[in-house]
Parts: sequence; structure tokens; C-alpha cells
Amino acid sequence: MLRITGGKVHDPANGIIGVVQDVCVAEGRIVPQVEGGRSVDARGMLVFPGGVDVHTHVAGAAMNFARGITPENYRKASPFIHTPELRAGLGGITPTTFATGYLYAGMGWTTVNEAAVPILSARHTHEELHDIPILDKSSLVLMANNEIVLDLLDAGEVERARHVVAWLIWAAKAYGVKAVNPGGIVAWKFGKNASKLSEPVDGYRRVTPAQIISSLAGIIDDLGLPHPLHLHCNNLGIPGNVSTTLETMRVLEGHRAHMAHLQFHAYGGDGWGTLRSEAAAIAEYFNAHANLTADAGAILFGDAMTVTADGPWEHVLHELTGHKWSNVDVENETGCGIVSYTYKERSLVNAVQWAVGLELLLLIDDPWRIFLTTDHPNGGCFWRYPELIRLLRDAEYRRECLKRLPSKAQKRIVLADLDRQYTLSEIAIITSAGPARALGLSQKGHLGVGADADIAIYDENPASGRMFEQPRYVIKGGVIVVEEGQIRAVTQGREFIVRPPFDEQIEAYLRPLFEKVYTMSFDNYPVAIERLAQPDIRECRP
Amino acid sequence: MGGKVTCTLGEVKNRADFIVYWGGNPAECHPRHFTKYTLTQKGRFVPEGRKGRTMVLVDIRETPSAKAADLFLQIRPGKDFEILTTLRALLKKQPVDKESVAETGLTVDQLQDLVDRMKRARFGVIFFGMGVSMTRGKHMNSAAILRLAAELNAFTKFVCMPMRGHGNVTGSDMVLRWTTGFPFGISMARGYPRFNPGEFSTVDLLVRGDNDAALILGADPGATMPQPGIDHLARIPTIVLDPKVTHTSRLARVHITTAATGISAPGTVYRMDEVPLPLRPALKSPYPTDEEVLRRIRQAVGAKPSWSPAPNATMASV
Repeated sequence: MLRITGGKVHDPANGIIGVVQDVCVAEGRIVPQVEGGRSVDARGMLVFPGGVDVHTHVAGAAMNFARGITPENYRKASPFIHTPELRAGLGGITPTTFATGYLYAGMGWTTVNEAAVPILSARHTHEELHDIPILDKSSLVLMANNEIVLDLLDAGEVERARHVVAWLIWAAKAYGVKAVNPGGIVAWKFGKNASKLSEPVDGYRRVTPAQIISSLAGIIDDLGLPHPLHLHCNNLGIPGNVSTTLETMRVLEGHRAHMAHLQFHAYGGDGWGTLRSEAAAIAEYFNAHANLTADAGAILFGDAMTVTADGPWEHVLHELTGHKWSNVDVENETGCGIVSYTYKERSLVNAVQWAVGLELLLLIDDPWRIFLTTDHPNGGCFWRYPELIRLLRDAEYRRECLKRLPSKAQKRIVLADLDRQYTLSEIAIITSAGPARALGLSQKGHLGVGADADIAIYDENPASGRMFEQPRYVIKGGVIVVEEGQIRAVTQGREFIVRPPFDEQIEAYLRPLFEKVYTMSFDNYPVAIERLAQPDIRECRP
Repeated sequence: MGGKVTCTLGEVKNRADFIVYWGGNPAECHPRHFTKYTLTQKGRFVPEGRKGRTMVLVDIRETPSAKAADLFLQIRPGKDFEILTTLRALLKKQPVDKESVAETGLTVDQLQDLVDRMKRARFGVIFFGMGVSMTRGKHMNSAAILRLAAELNAFTKFVCMPMRGHGNVTGSDMVLRWTTGFPFGISMARGYPRFNPGEFSTVDLLVRGDNDAALILGADPGATMPQPGIDHLARIPTIVLDPKVTHTSRLARVHITTAATGISAPGTVYRMDEVPLPLRPALKSPYPTDEEVLRRIRQAVGAKPSWSPAPNATMASV
């Protein structure tokens, strides 16, 4: 039992904006009252719901590949020394699993959504998620280049595709569906891509990227998954891709959808030399269409690691930069590309990208629909989120940073004209309440009675841009896990999964198809529920 | 330099029409590779199976694998790096010196022919064995062959994969990578992981005699290490967990017999392409699993007072 007294509570989901009141915790949840137990004196502090990351890459085959090929990055990484309570590890650009848990929790984040899991290696992803302590986790399975699904869509068998999608989600023990460069990755397997939404995917007769997007979004709505289609659009990172992104959003009309790392999809111009921000055009459309949510995918200057299922894009990036390139095509399902990258202030392209991320966060009016991410580790590391918060809260500081950008870049962006400054409550929305709602996690992102007692407590220090860097206390599931910048307790989080409804007969359909094109036996494909330490099956509402 | 352009084995089965094995003898060392993944399977985009694929073998001697190949290129020992570099030069239409190339055992024409075939492939793959990675040049050879495959992607689809073996060596790599950041050659002596192959890799530690105890799992270094390393293992307290009697268990101070994983103990094995497979035991064993033995050792060690000078060490600031 725990009582947090005297803190200024920011619980926007319950309409509480900076009100001094007590928060009581018992048995891992928020309760109206407690008798006895520990009391935390939070006078002069801010009480926030624990952070929720709607889009990050922290576990699984791709991240582990990235770790393996960049020992040089770990030379600069902060070491985690093992103690009787803590496991050893390394931070840096691609932190090891235990360090990932400590770093997120140390920043006040308590729930993360791993956004890209191939079904074929979902077993591996769950093993890594198990080794990320403290945090609650969920994962999204890659579907927009799954050849069994695409074959069905090509044949117009959407009904059967729905059963297959549902079966695959349960096989992977996933929480939702991610679509990455629909049709583009399957084309990449013979070295091509899918840059036009309305042209048939390479190797298919009829099905187009647009149809994949609308069919998957429809299937997910029909299945009633708590989180809508989570979409990485075609033409990521390419100058002029704003037209693709707008077209994609039009395709999604009538469906719920989450637009991942929108920053990478809001560029104008027709080449690298003419790249400009189109954040305003994206924001204008987005503001008028409440069916959509998005995360920023903002970039921060410095070292990053681009890791994505979008194989063809990574080949482009490799050719542009000459940096070392890795690629893993995953049979019948998806791909993966990895190129290490450094965002430089002096680079025109990087400067525009930096501005676009902030512009989207400032131009999209409704903080309940745009969330704070860097598409870790693609745009920057998650442990740099406090830097972004500072940029959002302080227009003057933003302008100071702007001065350092190349003068050519200034003409390609609108950031200098934006005076909006995020309020503390808006920060609580874009870092916690909003993403929790978009993920359909009703017990996360708020401090109402019955919510999970995931709480971050910060020193209130309006003069400092750095107050979000180190919370005074972090409480996860009612346990004080961080205090004064130190990990005090290590708990094991839950894994949220769903079991969408499907016709059991679909296995009889899948088995022979599967055994023809896969190299693993069908019975070995699904991840057994026993492999998850603390699964929490969430309800679907078809 | 660096990186790896690869795929899972099903991609090879479904798409590869051009397959190179280099510095390995899969017919004897990976006897199911041809039939399960690469040559004889009918793939989605290779419906003719073997007839739809071309196989090239590059090796220093004519092994039984040569019988399976459409083209066998015999090279001189230790010339892999030179040949790979020449292929990369030819790919980029750079001039090459005929006489230097002749020293490799192949002619410029043969190499040009190989480059042309590679470029014409629809989906090409190079599998490389220890004849590349463990001979003169070592990791430089591996880097060169990985670069060649990567650079071929300017012309067509090409991937590359090391032919790994030795049980679940890939699984060990995977777990070490997510827990420590590194695949092998890791020192935890300072309480956090540091990586330095040549300094911290097993063979180097043993040969120098740096370690004063050894715990050995799922491996038989007594059969494969250089003699000074084996002598050192015999000198120090060596503990072996193994279902069988091995060269290492014979020289060990303690041999704990464990259940055989995959036969009488469950687990996960990672294939050479890093795809995890569940292991379901068919039999029961009277012996404990490796996991159980390690858990109990850890419990016993954990009951001792901490060695750490700072049991509540401050969380590192990033």
C-alpha cells in the first residue's frame, strides 16, 4: 500500500490538470483510499501516469541483428554493472534487454509496444521481451507482405484472409498488426519495391498496396482488435512522399488506423537537394480526420540505427550513405534492413527531418492523436525523449536550435513560425494517456480508480528544461521501482496479447500451403502460450 | 565494411536460382542442406526444383559436394581473399592483373564468367564455410565475401550466409547478443560486458592460461582446441555439463550428466539463419536439464555474500 501526498497530479484522461491531491495505491492498482502503508511526500513534484511508448523497437530478430553488427557503438554506451538485484548490460543506441527495462523505467516509462515482429521469429521476440524487466509489453506482427495473406487478397478472398490474419496473430501471441511498406517488401525479394499505391504489387495480378492497406484495416476493425492497423506507409524517407502519405490516409477513410513515425512520411520536393517539409499539408488532412492517430517518429541529431522491415528503403539508404548495410529477408512474410546512421545538424536533409518531426507535433491540434516517439532507434534513442519534451515546451529554445541549422534549410521548413508550447498536461497526453488509449489499454495512461498503478513523479522545476530527464520516483504496478535515479526493485511485467476469433478449420487450409513454402513444420510455427511468462489476454470486440 | 545481407532458408528454397557454396563441404557436413533448403526442393518461384537452379562450388579440393555442383572451381589454398577481391573488382569493371589472378588457381576468364552468371541470376545466394572464415585472412575473408554479396545487389538480388554448425551455436550467439550486446568473446570481469575477440575469446583465454576455472556447456573444446588450451583445461578446475562422455569430460574435475536437449529436455534451437525452433522431448531422462543444473548452481552461489563492492550501484547515466 502506498499513498502519494501533496503532488500536483496531471491525469488528463480524468480531466485532472495540475491539481494537488493524493494518489492511493493498493495491490498494484489505484484505489480511492488506503489505510497505513508507505507514504511518498510529493510536495513540489508533478505526478504523471507512467509513460507508454506506442512505437518502439526493443526486442526480436532485427534488433538483435543490429546489436550483433555494431560492437563499435557499445564502446560509447553506458555500462550497467551487475549487482545482486540488477543484471549487467549496455545502454547506447541498441540497448541490451535488461538495460532497456532499466532505462525506460528510469525515465518514467512503464509500458512499451514492440512494433515489428515477424511471425517466423515471434518465439525469439517473446524470449527477449521476457528479458526486459519492469515494463509491461505488447507486440505487433508484420502482415502487409505475408504471401499467404496477399495471395488471398489477390484472389479476392477477404473473408478467408480475416481468419488467416486472426490465426496468425494468435500464432505469434501478438497484440496487433503492423503493416510495413505494403507490397514493397515482397517485391524487394526480387530487388524491386512498391512506390505506387494503385499499381499491382510486383508478382501479383491484381492486389495493390492500397487494397492491402484497406483490406487489413477492415479486417482489423472486423476482428475488433484493441489497437487499429499500425501502418508504416510506402515510400518512407523519400522526397515527395507526402503525396503517397495523403493518398494512404484517403484509402483509410472509414477505418481506424495508426500512422507510424509520420515524420518520415511528410516530405516534399523531388530529390534530396529539394527536400522540404510538408508537415503542414499532412497536419491539415490529419486534423480533419478523427479516424487516425499517429506517432511522431521525430529525429534528434546524433547517432542512430535505422532498423526496419522496409528492406528496399535500407538498400537506398546504404547506397546514399555507404554505411554498412544488413538485410534479412524472412521467408513468405517480411524483410528487415539495417543501416547505421548519424543525423547531422549541418546536413540539409537531416535539418529538414528534424524540423518535420517537431512541426507535426506542433501542427496537429489534438494531442490525443499524435504521440511522442523517435521510432527508436531509427530517429534517435528512446532515452532521449526528454530532449524532445524540452523542444516542445519551449519555443524560444527551439528558435535557438533553429539558428544552428543551414540557412538553406530554414526556407524549407515552417518551424520558426510556430509559437505553440506544450503544457504539462499535453505532455502527459502525448507520452501516456494518448498512446494508452490508441493501444486500447484502458487501465494504462491514467490515474483513475482501478487503473494500473504506473506512476512517474518528477520534480517541478519550470525553469529547467531537464526536469523530465530523471524522475524522483517511478512506480510500476504499485511497486516503487525507481527512487532518486536508482533502480530500487526489479519486477516482471506482463505481456498483452489478443486471441481474435477465427474458424478453427483455417488450420486445415493453412497446413498444406504452409508446408509447401516454409522450411519449418507447421506444428512448430505457433508460439505456445506457456512460453510467455505473464500473458494477459485482452478482449477483442468484433 | 561490415554488415550482412542475408535471408532465412525458406527464401533460398522459394526463390534462389543461383547457389554458390564456398569453402565448405555441405554434402558431408550439412547433409540435409541440399534436400531441405537449397537444391532439390521445388520452390514457389523455382517450380522445376534442381533443374531451375545452378550450383557453383568453390573449394581447394574436390570434395563429395563437387558431384552436386554444375560448376566446380578449384582454387589454391589461402587465396580466397584475392579471388573475392578480384570478383568485386570485375563487378565494378575495374582492371585486374592476369598474372596475379593466375596465382589463385583460376583465370580471369573463369572469374569473369562467374561474375556474369552472378549478375544474370534472379536470386543468388552464397553460402560460405570454415574454409573461408577460418583459413588465412579469417574475418577479412568473411568481410570480403559479405561485401561481394552486398555489392551484387546493385545488379540483382543477392544474399549471403555462413554455414554454421556445432549444435546450437547460433542460439548461444543470439542470447548473448540480447543480454550483453555481443555474440562471443565477452568479458564480464568488470561487472559489465566487454567484447574483444582475440583477448576474451575462449581459445585465447585457454591458450594463454588466463582463466582459473572453466564451466563448459554444449561443447567439447577438449576435441578441437589447440593442445596448450587443452592442457590448461586439465590443469584448472573444469566442470562439464554434458549428456555424454566427451574428450572434455574426461579431463574435467567434475562432469555433471544432463538430459540431452531435444531428446529428453525441451528448449529452443536457433537455425543457422537465426530462426528459432522449439524442441519437444520425445523421451524422459533420469538426469536434470542443463537449465536446472545452472539454476541450482546459481542459487547456491547467490546464497553467498555478494562480491560486488557496491551492492546498490548507481544506475548509469546515459
